[in-house]
Amino acid sequence: MLVNYPDAAHWPVDPTRRDLVEEMRARPRGPHSHDLQRLLHRMRWTGVGKRYVLITLEPGRRWMLARLPGRRGVPIETFPNRVFTSLAEAEWAVFAMRWEALTGQELD
Amino acid sequence: MRDTTAVLGYAWPLVVSPGESVSFHLSSPGLTQAQAKIVRVRCADPDPDGPGLKLETPGTPIDGPVALKDQPIHPGAAAIIADVPALSPASFSAGCFIWPTAPLGREQSILARWRADLGQGWRLGLDEDGHLVFEVAGADGGLTLRVARPAIEREWLFVAASYEAASGVVTLTQRSLDPQGGRDTSGHVVGHGPKTVAWPRDTALVFAAQAREAGSDPLTEAHYDGKIDRPRLFSTALAEEELRRACETLAPLPSDPRLVGAWDFSREMAGDAIRDVSTNRLDGRLRNMPMRAMTGANWDGSVVQWRERPELYGAIHFHSDDMADCGWEQGPQFTVPADWRSGFYALRLTAREGSEDPVESYVSFFVRAPLGQAKSKLALVASTATYQAYANSALRLDQVHAEAMLEGVIALSRDDAYLQEHRELGLSTYDTHSDGSGWCYSTAKRPILNMRPLGNTFNYVNDTHIIDWLEELSFDYDVITDCDIDRHGAQLLKAYDCVITPSHPEYYSLNMIEAFDAYQRGGGRHVYLGGNGFYWRIAWHPTNPHEMEIRRGMSGLRTWEGEAGENGLSFTGEPSGLWRTHGRPPQRLVGVGFDAQVFTRSYPYEWLEDARDPRVAWLVEGVDLAQPLGDFGLRGGGAAGLEVDRVEPALGTPPHTLRLATADQLDYGGVPTLEELRTLHRGVMGDQNALVRADLAFFPTAAGGAVFSTGSIAWACALTCYRYENSVSRVTENVLRRFLDPAPFEGFDD
Repeated sequence: MLVNYPDAAHWPVDPTRRDLVEEMRARPRGPHSHDLQRLLHRMRWTGVGKRYVLITLEPGRRWMLARLPGRRGVPIETFPNRVFTSLAEAEWAVFAMRWEALTGQELD
Repeated sequence: MRDTTAVLGYAWPLVVSPGESVSFHLSSPGLTQAQAKIVRVRCADPDPDGPGLKLETPGTPIDGPVALKDQPIHPGAAAIIADVPALSPASFSAGCFIWPTAPLGREQSILARWRADLGQGWRLGLDEDGHLVFEVAGADGGLTLRVARPAIEREWLFVAASYEAASGVVTLTQRSLDPQGGRDTSGHVVGHGPKTVAWPRDTALVFAAQAREAGSDPLTEAHYDGKIDRPRLFSTALAEEELRRACETLAPLPSDPRLVGAWDFSREMAGDAIRDVSTNRLDGRLRNMPMRAMTGANWDGSVVQWRERPELYGAIHFHSDDMADCGWEQGPQFTVPADWRSGFYALRLTAREGSEDPVESYVSFFVRAPLGQAKSKLALVASTATYQAYANSALRLDQVHAEAMLEGVIALSRDDAYLQEHRELGLSTYDTHSDGSGWCYSTAKRPILNMRPLGNTFNYVNDTHIIDWLEELSFDYDVITDCDIDRHGAQLLKAYDCVITPSHPEYYSLNMIEAFDAYQRGGGRHVYLGGNGFYWRIAWHPTNPHEMEIRRGMSGLRTWEGEAGENGLSFTGEPSGLWRTHGRPPQRLVGVGFDAQVFTRSYPYEWLEDARDPRVAWLVEGVDLAQPLGDFGLRGGGAAGLEVDRVEPALGTPPHTLRLATADQLDYGGVPTLEELRTLHRGVMGDQNALVRADLAFFPTAAGGAVFSTGSIAWACALTCYRYENSVSRVTENVLRRFLDPAPFEGFDD
C-alpha cells in the first residue's frame, strides 16, 4: 500500500519572505514564481490547520469558506459569514490563514 | 442554494431501449412527496459562463407528484450462510486465516453464529483494541476469551476457537504466520464456560459480520475489515494442530464425519456465491461485493495472476463500507415511447419550490439506440464505464494530494458535502475504503451523485457540452453506450458512418477496444473529442449489467495502489492496469495517448505544418492557421487542458498520422504521468519538457475509415464559447461533416 503522508511536504517556510505574500496577494491564481510554488505546495499538501475548502453556493459566482473535518462521515464545518465572489479572493483568504498558521503573522 | 440531495435515487436498468421500461428507486429521509418530471438532457452544466442548464421536457405519464419515503442503506460486506441443522453441533471448533486491515476502534466479527438481538450464540472476532476474542453465550450466560496481544494491521494470522459442550471448555488461539521482527502476536487462551449451550435457532452463519436478527437474510452489524481465507467448521473441539492442518489443506476430506463446512473462496470468482466443499453443501451468498481474487495466506509470489493458481487466491477482502446494491423498493416506472430519441435522460425531482432551499435532484438514465435500430449516421458513445469509475468520488474529500494536484483551493458542491457525511452511498474506484484499500468495483444500483445534471463536472457534465453543441449545430445523432459495445462489439458501431467518443473515455474493456479497432479497420470513422482515453483496462461483469471492475496495479496515474499479486480481475481473470502495458497503447487506436495533467490553467494549441497539408484542407477550412486554436474555454480558459494526450510513434501512432496542432507550452503546471518517466531526473514538468503536451491528430484507416483526436478533456468545454462560433467549434464541425461524407481520404497510400 502506497501512502501519501500529509507531513511529507517539508519545504521550510521563511517568515521573512513577505515578498511571497505580496506576490500571492497580487496574483492569487498564478502564475507563481518558483519559491511561491514551493510555499503553496507546502500549504496545499499538508492542509495546514485542517484543510480549508469552499462550498459552491452559486456555480461560478459565490463560494463559502468551509473546512474538512479530517474524518469520514463527519459534517464539513462551514463559515457562512465568509462568502467569496471570486476564486482568486478565496485563494488569497485561505493563503492568509495558512500563512498565519505557519508563521504566526497575521496578514491584513 | 439548490438542495440536490434531499431526495436521491437510481434508475434500473441504467440504459434502456425505446419501448422498454425503466424504474426509479427513490428515497428521502425528509420529504414525503416531490414533483417528478422526465427530462432529456442537452446541457447538464449550470455554470452561467457556459451554455447553462438545458433540459427538454417531452411530457410523460409519470410527470407529476411522486410519493417518497426513507429507505436506509446498509453498507458492509459479509457472507451469509442460511441456518441448517448441521450448523448447531453441541461442540464445535472453527478456524481460518485472517489479514485484518483496520483492527482498531470498534468490535468486528470474523466468523459468527451469533444473534446480536439475543446476545446468544458464538462469535470469533476482534474487540475495539484489536484483540482476538471468542464469545460463547446461551440463555444462561456465557464466556468471552481474549488473546493478550492485539493483531497487527495487514499481518496474516491463523485464528481458531473451540467449545466442548460436555466440559464447557473454551479455547482461543492466535498464531502469527511471520513471528519475527516484532510481529509475533501469538497467544492461546483456555477458559470454562457454560456446559451444553442451547444455540439460538434460525440463526445464519455469517462471515465478516454478525446477524442482528433471525432468518436466512438478516441485517448484519460489526462488519470486519480485512481478508478471510479458508474458514473451516467442525462438530467437535479439535486440537489446534489438527484444525490448522484442516485450514492449510485446500481440500479437507469431505468424508470426515466431524467436518461441518470448509469454504473455498477461490471458486466461482466472478459470482456472489461461496462454495462449501464439505458434503453438507453449506454454500453462502456474498453481500455488497467484497473484493475477490485476493492473495491468500498461502500466496508465495510464484504467480501474480489468480488464473494461474487460483488455490493461492482463496481469500476475500471484506470492507465494512462495501456497497453494491441499495436494494431500494421500486418507485415510479416508465415505458420509454418507441419513437423517442436516444440520449441522456433523467428523472427530475423538485420540492420546496419558491423557498430559500428548493429541492432539485436528478436520477439519470440513458436511452440507447438499440442494436440494429440506428436512426442516424452519427453516434455519440456515452462513457458509462468512466461515469461508473468516478461514481461518488470522494477524492477531494479524502486524499492528501487533491489540492496540490488541482492547483488551488478545492471548491466542493452540495453533493460533495452530502457525500462527506453519507459514505453509505459507496464511493468510486478512485477512492479508498475506510481501511485504506482501494475500491475496485462500481455498480449502478445506488445513487451516483456525479452522473447527473448539476453534478460535478468530471465527466458526465462535460460530455453534455458536446451534446449541446451537436444540438446547436443541428447534427442528427444517436446515443449508444460503451457497455453495449462491450456486449455486442463492433456490430453496434458498424451501423454508423461516424462515432464520437466524448471528453474522457478512460475505461475500456478488451471487447470495447477490439470493437473500436475492428470498426476503424472496417472503414469506420472515429472522432475522439477528449483526453486520457482508452487508458485503463477494465471488465464488465459477465452477466450482471452495470457492474465494472478495475485493478489499479502499480503503474499509471493511480489514486491507490493495488497489492502485490492482485492485479487480476475477478470478473474475467484478465490482468487489469494500463492498456499501455497490455500492448494496446491509446496511440495505436487513436493516434494520441495520455501524457500529462495540467490543472493550473488550460492552453491554446498552435497549428503545425501538417495542418497546411492539402489532404486535410477540409479540416481547417474557415480557420486562420496563424492564430492560436482554442485560446478560450470554460475549463481553464483554453481548449488544451486538464488531461492531455500526445502523439508517440514509439507507442503506436500510425505512420500516416498528421500532427496538426500542439499545445506544448504547458508551463510548470504540466505534470507528466508516471509511466512517461523511465528514470528520475529534474526537468520533467511542462515548462521544460516538450513531451508534456496535447496534440491534435488525424489519420486515415483501412477501407476509407479515419480517426480524429483532440487529446484534451478541456476541448469539449471550449466548443460552445462565443455562441458556438469559434475555431474549436469550426474544426470539430469540419471534421464531423467530412467524416459523414463517404468519400475516401485520398493521397495517403501513394
